[in-house]
Amino acid sequence: MWLFLATEVLFFGAIFLTWIYCRHWNPAGFDAGAQKTQLATGTINTVILLTSSLVYSAGLAFIEAGNRRRLIQCCAVTWALGFSFLILKFGLEYYKDFAAKLFPGPDFAINGALGGGARLFYVFYFVSTALHGIHMIGGLVLVGWIILRARRDEFSPLYYTPVAVVGLYWSFVDVVWIVLYALIYLVGRGS
Amino acid sequence: MTKHFRNLLVTWILLLVLLGTEFGASFLPLARSMRPLILIPVVLMVAVVATMFMQVGRGPTIVRLFAVAAMVWLSFLLVLGSLDPMTRIEYRVQDASSK
Repeated sequence: MWLFLATEVLFFGAIFLTWIYCRHWNPAGFDAGAQKTQLATGTINTVILLTSSLVYSAGLAFIEAGNRRRLIQCCAVTWALGFSFLILKFGLEYYKDFAAKLFPGPDFAINGALGGGARLFYVFYFVSTALHGIHMIGGLVLVGWIILRARRDEFSPLYYTPVAVVGLYWSFVDVVWIVLYALIYLVGRGS
Repeated sequence: MTKHFRNLLVTWILLLVLLGTEFGASFLPLARSMRPLILIPVVLMVAVVATMFMQVGRGPTIVRLFAVAAMVWLSFLLVLGSLDPMTRIEYRVQDASSK
């Protein structure tokens, strides 16, 4: 899993580099785009993901102590929090973004001198959040798989490696969002 | 066990404090070139999640090696990739009509 995560770091690293490069050449347009993002939704989603990592870590501690029932409960809460994230992101936030004509197409809302940079920002926004969302869906599948295996009594204090491995993946997806949150919602906010 | 849960809770609270810090800092009237400084709490948050939730320090040496290698290659990617925009000198082309 750590080898896989190392490749994922480089995968998302290229996306972060894109942000550095594009913002350097288009700072005003990037900031104009960032100011149109849904800050409240992004912040709530960040709290949701941080909480989900806490709950999953607690579940891991429970199975280390032999409490399988608590592990299932923690995984179920983690799954629900992850699902809430996706609903807020793709059900609410994307809807508002499309309604505000922020998708970088022919009717894009920001025009004039800042239009080019703002379009680049929203290309970054949609690509990076969609890729993160795909990783979240993968995480939900894995957490669901852990719940199923735990219900079949396959984990014990002597064997819980899949629980720990899925926890690593879930926290990694959390880490990626922590960085994306700042790049998308915060850096351009007050300029 | 109880101590471990307390540590997890303290970690979560610390993460929320750092989140609040970067959230508040984003409204400061910083110069555009200085705004990436808002990312300092982000680096701390990533370190906290890696050490407390992902427990990098608790794993075997090979785990720590992969984690460090990932960070080293990421820094190479970001530093080398940023060299061009950070060091390129822009020369303004004189407008032909102003000659």
